[in-house]
Amino acid sequence: MREMAMFDVIVRGGTVVDGTGAPGFAGDVAVKDGRIAAVGQVSGEAKRVVDAQGRVVAPGFIDPHTHFDVQLLWDGAARPALEHGVTCVVPGNCSLSLAPLKASDRKAVVGMFQQIEEMPPEAFTTAFEWTWEDFAGYRSALEKGLSINVAPLVGHSVIRLWVMGPASQERAAFPDEIAAMQALLRECLEAGAVGLSTSFVDLDEHGRPVPSRYAQFEELDALCAVLGEFGRMLQVVPEFYATDITIARIDQLADLSIRHDIPTTFSPLFDTLAVPDNAERAIARVEEQFARGARVWPQMQTRPIDISFSLLRPSLFFARLPRWVRILRQPLEQRVAALNDPDTRAKMLADLGSDGGEAMFGRLVARGGDACPPEYVGKTLSEIAGLRGQPAGLALIELSLENGLDVAFLSAGQGHQSTDRIGPMLAHPLVHIGASDGGAHLASFSTYGDTGYLFSEFVRKAGAMSLEKAVAKITSETADIWGLKDRGRLATGQCADIVVFDPDAIARGDELPAFDMPGDGMRYVRAARGVDTVLVNGEVAYAAGAYTDSRSGVVCV
Amino acid sequence: MGEDALEEAVIVGADIVAGHDGTAELVVRLLHPDGSEHPVLLDEDTGLKLMEACGASGLEDLYGQSWRRILPQA
Amino acid sequence: MELSRQRRFVTPAPEETIEDLAARALPDQPLQAAVDSIKSWNLHVFAMRRPPGLMLGSDVIFVEPPLAHG
Repeated sequence: MREMAMFDVIVRGGTVVDGTGAPGFAGDVAVKDGRIAAVGQVSGEAKRVVDAQGRVVAPGFIDPHTHFDVQLLWDGAARPALEHGVTCVVPGNCSLSLAPLKASDRKAVVGMFQQIEEMPPEAFTTAFEWTWEDFAGYRSALEKGLSINVAPLVGHSVIRLWVMGPASQERAAFPDEIAAMQALLRECLEAGAVGLSTSFVDLDEHGRPVPSRYAQFEELDALCAVLGEFGRMLQVVPEFYATDITIARIDQLADLSIRHDIPTTFSPLFDTLAVPDNAERAIARVEEQFARGARVWPQMQTRPIDISFSLLRPSLFFARLPRWVRILRQPLEQRVAALNDPDTRAKMLADLGSDGGEAMFGRLVARGGDACPPEYVGKTLSEIAGLRGQPAGLALIELSLENGLDVAFLSAGQGHQSTDRIGPMLAHPLVHIGASDGGAHLASFSTYGDTGYLFSEFVRKAGAMSLEKAVAKITSETADIWGLKDRGRLATGQCADIVVFDPDAIARGDELPAFDMPGDGMRYVRAARGVDTVLVNGEVAYAAGAYTDSRSGVVCV
Repeated sequence: MGEDALEEAVIVGADIVAGHDGTAELVVRLLHPDGSEHPVLLDEDTGLKLMEACGASGLEDLYGQSWRRILPQA
Repeated sequence: MELSRQRRFVTPAPEETIEDLAARALPDQPLQAAVDSIKSWNLHVFAMRRPPGLMLGSDVIFVEPPLAHG
C-alpha cells in the first residue's frame, strides 16, 4: 500500500493565484519544511489544514519601501503590515538604517529617524537593547524575533557618518574616505543587505540635509560599483512634483544602472492634478531608459495623499480664504483672541458663504489621537456640526478653541487621488507598486493597507487591472526587481509565504489613532479587511483576526 | 499676461497640493522671459512666507509677482 | 536608442559657489545675470535651503530654462 504524503500545512480548496499573472485556478497548496511542496489537486494529509473555500490563495505580498527598522526590534510582525498579507518588508530606505552605526553616533541617527518616522524617543531607549554597531550585529538582533521576512537596505547616510563623522554633513568625501565607504558597504552586503538607499531630499531634526546629500556623484558611482559586485539595488528619494528634476534623477540612475549592471528604484512617484504631466513624463523617460538597457523602477503608491492640519499652526489649507490666512498666521495668543472675538468670527464665517462652511469644511474628518473629545473622533465636521447644532465653520472654530486648538482635521484625497489616472499607471509594466512608507510618518497618517486599497479601489471598483495582475505586481514582479530568491510565487520549491484572502472583501480599514508605540506613543493605523490567513515560511503567523506566536520570519535576500 | 516681453520670471499660477508628509504645500508656476514655464513646489513654511512677503491674502495675489519673492528674505 | 532631449543640468563641484557655477555654466553672460538665471531656474535649491544659498554635491542644477513640452 502506497504511503500517504504527510505535509505540515495544506491550504485546501481555494482559488490559487500563483503570482505569475496567470489566471487563478481551483486547487490546493501544500507546505513542507517551510517550502511549497505541491500546488494543484493535492492528496495526502497535513498537521494543519487551512480551509480556503471561496478565498484566493496567493503568494505573500512584498512591501519594498518601509521604515520598520526600529519597530522590528520589538514587534517582529511589523504590525499591522503582516495582517494585510505582507510577508516581506524592505526597511532601510531613504539613506537611513540602524547599521552600521557607532555607539557614539546613535543620537544623531535617532534624530534623523524621529524626523522621518515621528517615532517617540522611548522607542529608542526602552524598547530594545542596542547591542550592535555593524550590519551583521543588527541582522542578529532582528533575527531573534521576526514573524515577517525582512530584506534590509543599508543607508548611505549612516555609511557616510561612520566613515566621516560630523564632516559627513559638511563636505565632499576625500578619495580615501570613499574607499572606506566602499569597504563598509561591501561588508554590509556580505552580511545580508539587499542594497543601498540614498536620499536627495531628507532633512535631519535640525533641518539640515542628511549626510547622503553632501555626496558628489562620484561617491555614489563608487558605491554603485560595489553594488555591482553583488548585483544589488540602489534606492533613491527624488524631489517631489518636480518633473524636470525627476527626469534628471532617472538619467543619473540609468547611467549607474548600465555602468554597474544594477537595478535602481526611485520612490515615490506621485500624480497630481496641479502638475498633470508629472508622472506621465517621468514614466515616458523610464521607458526610454529601459529601452537603452537601464533598470530604473519608479515606485508608485496606491493610496491617495490626505492633508492634515489643526489651528495650532498656520496651514496653506486655508490659502483660498484670505481673512482666515491672515488670522491664522498670527502668533498663538493673538490668533486665539481673534478667534474668540465675535466681530472677527462673524466676518470669518461670512467668508464661508451662506451654507456656513458646509461645502468647504463639511467633509473634513476629526482624526483623534489629540485633544479632540472621543465622541467626535472619526466623524465628519458636517456630522459634528449636526451634533452641536452649529454650522460647520463655527463648529471648526469652537471645537478647536474648546480644546486648546489641538484638534487635527483631515481633508482626504488631496493629492495622488485620481483613480482614473493612477490605475493605468499602476498597471504599467515598468511601474513598481510600492512606496508605502510603512512605519514612517506615524503621527501624521497611516502607512498601512496600501495592498488592500490596490484590490478594493483598482481591481474591484475601477477594473484597472485583473486580480491576478495586481497580485503579480506585489509578489513575483517585486521579488524579481529586488532579486529576492525563491519569493513571490506559489510553485514547488518556493518559500511558503502565503496569504489567503476574500477577493470581494480585501481592503484597508478606516484610519484610526492607536497608542501602541513605546511610551504610549500615538500613531495612525488601518486594520486589514478580508485577509483570513497569512503564512510566513510555512508557519501560520496570522489567522482568524489574530497574530500567532510564530517566529518564522527571516532576513532574506 | 500681456504681450510685453518679460524682464524676469514671474508667477503665473498657484495651487495647493498635498505634500508627501500630509501638509498643504504650494505649487507655483513660473513664466520665464523666453516664454517657458515650470512648476516649483514650496513647502508649507516657504509657501506661507511667500504669501506674507507678497502681502497676499489669497493665491491669486501671487500672480505677477517676481520670482525673487520666492527667495529667502534677508 | 536615442534619448529625447531633456533639460541640461550640472552638479556643483566641491566648495563651488553660485558665482563659480554660474560662470562655468553660462560663460557668455555677465556674472550677475548668470547668477540670477541659475537661481530662477533652480528654486528647488535656492528657495528652501538652510542656510540660504547652500549648494550640495548631490543637487541637480539646471543650466537652461525649461523646455517646451506637449
